[in-house]
Amino acid sequence: MPGNLDFVLASGGNRISPRLPCVVALCASFPEGGGGEALRAELRGLGADLVVLTPKGGVWLSPDSDPKPLLAASSFWEEQGARGAERGGAPLTVLVYDENANVRMRKDADAPVPVEPTLLAAVREARLRSRGGMGRRDLLAGTLVAAVGFVLAQACAGLKTHDEPTPPAAGPNLQDITLTVNGEKRKLRIESRVSLLDALREQLQLTGTKKGCDMGQCGACTVLIDGTRVNSCLQLAVAHEGHQITTIEGLAKGDKLHPMQQAFIDCDGFQCGYCTPGQILSAVGLLHEGRPADDEAIREGMSGNICRCGAYPNIVAAIAQVRG
Amino acid sequence: MKLFTYQRAKSLDDAISAGGTFLAGGTSLIDLMKIEVLNYDRLVDLAKLDDLRKIEADAKGLKLGALATNTAVAQHGDVKQRWPGISQALLSGASPQLRNVATVAGNLLQRTRCAYYRDLATKCNKRNPGQGCDAMEGWTRMHAILGTSDKCIAAHPSDFCVALAALDAVVHVKGPKGERELPFGDLHLLPGDHPEREFALQPDELITHVFVPASAAAAKSRYVKARDRQSYAFALASCAAGVEVAGGSIRSARIALGGVGTKPWRVPEAEQSLVGAQPSKETFRKAAEIALRGAQPRGDNAFKAELAKRCVVRALLTSAEAA
Repeated sequence: MPGNLDFVLASGGNRISPRLPCVVALCASFPEGGGGEALRAELRGLGADLVVLTPKGGVWLSPDSDPKPLLAASSFWEEQGARGAERGGAPLTVLVYDENANVRMRKDADAPVPVEPTLLAAVREARLRSRGGMGRRDLLAGTLVAAVGFVLAQACAGLKTHDEPTPPAAGPNLQDITLTVNGEKRKLRIESRVSLLDALREQLQLTGTKKGCDMGQCGACTVLIDGTRVNSCLQLAVAHEGHQITTIEGLAKGDKLHPMQQAFIDCDGFQCGYCTPGQILSAVGLLHEGRPADDEAIREGMSGNICRCGAYPNIVAAIAQVRG
Repeated sequence: MKLFTYQRAKSLDDAISAGGTFLAGGTSLIDLMKIEVLNYDRLVDLAKLDDLRKIEADAKGLKLGALATNTAVAQHGDVKQRWPGISQALLSGASPQLRNVATVAGNLLQRTRCAYYRDLATKCNKRNPGQGCDAMEGWTRMHAILGTSDKCIAAHPSDFCVALAALDAVVHVKGPKGERELPFGDLHLLPGDHPEREFALQPDELITHVFVPASAAAAKSRYVKARDRQSYAFALASCAAGVEVAGGSIRSARIALGGVGTKPWRVPEAEQSLVGAQPSKETFRKAAEIALRGAQPRGDNAFKAELAKRCVVRALLTSAEAA
């Protein structure tokens, strides 16, 4: 059953609904005025809305507009069966709604007061996990659930929050390694059987690199290792300490896209986009290997990247544009 | 994938004494370990053994280090010029991403792509000795028609090995008991009653390099491959051939077949039939008939004998026409 996500603005009494997916936090207290700039900045980066309700009022934090004060929403508390600390309930209840306004996660927690740092950490975590995932709302909802749940679990346990998940305890099958990804040194504790692809996606949250066939046939997982294109699904992460690994997240220089990224946009070199990071990395690798003489050479050189949508003519055009 | 320990070999001797399974490019090994067709508990990564990456050519021939990548070999100037069939065979195989990491020795020791070997739900004598073979009555389009047994019809998947078989390559190995060399044709074993035995190598023996002699036929060598896709597909049939023509007649010839044999398939009788003859389509067709003598097609692969013959003719013609 989709929940009723209508709230009343304190100024003027108009009703508003947050954009979905979103997070609703019910808490004992929250700073008047609507949260710190840091929290709003994180929400802006994530593209998700946050509604914080206290017994006395509330605030709607949307990345696209200034924080808006809300009237107290006692019926919402009742609807959710949430009781504030003053009535013997948990000091913090967090609800994550998916794109259909269904509650995907509910967490009742003994959050530290003030609650804002906990929410900030949760949103930061969500942002890390959904990097590159903007616009795919379902993924975002899943990300919010995972991240908010994770951070709140830490808050409940009174733990200090980390930027990255706590690694599992060391054991005979785990190795501590440092990978250099997009120029950054990243420490990992992983099993030797973990592929480079899984390490990038699951541990370093670099989900731009895609898992397609996971057996070296489709090319969706293509990354550059020391400038050379390879299938990251068939590489062991432990084997790549000391190498320069470049993923799609590392191609742009700040806000300036890599010429190949720009060319794929200019030439409409994709439809669904799933194979695109691999196509772009492969194309960069191809030009690094030498100048393909003609379109035929581009096609042959890109034979290791499959596009299920069949955007091949535009992919070839994009690469030809960069080749010049 | 099952858990395993991972270590890096610091030297050749360190690798040989490590008592594990050697990891080079990993494109075949990791793939098969992921689907648990191969399960090893210790991998010894050879990546630091840079001496094994060397490619050297002199008047006598070509020395390919075990860890030289497919790309490095295929793009090497001497290889392209003096052993073009090797370069062509490599470039016809796999994808650029795979060729960038796949190695010389890894290519020699890769496993079959028989779909039944890869599928744990089916019976396979190569994977589980004595279990039976579901390929026999299955989909055999990609299977072998030469060198088969009633235990196994899996085709050898390599293109590179076909060129090496044709060009008299020699495999150099080092093990706990020292160094030795094998003629290329002795490296791969016929399936016979024991398809699980694939290589004439002892435990802990490591291929260090492959030597390919220089020859007039090698300098004219060509590789022709027929496949279901224009690129990035295993051979249905292929042929590496080299013809040395002097004074209008053939002085020597090299012919090996891919995609049709349970191992890289050299055919000395077909080569002999050409010596002294004049190069022509008809002569080459006769050699092709000899090359496919004894072929035993099965079900879906009945077309392969004729396809392979045409690959032989095409490869010999292009070699003979090469200036």
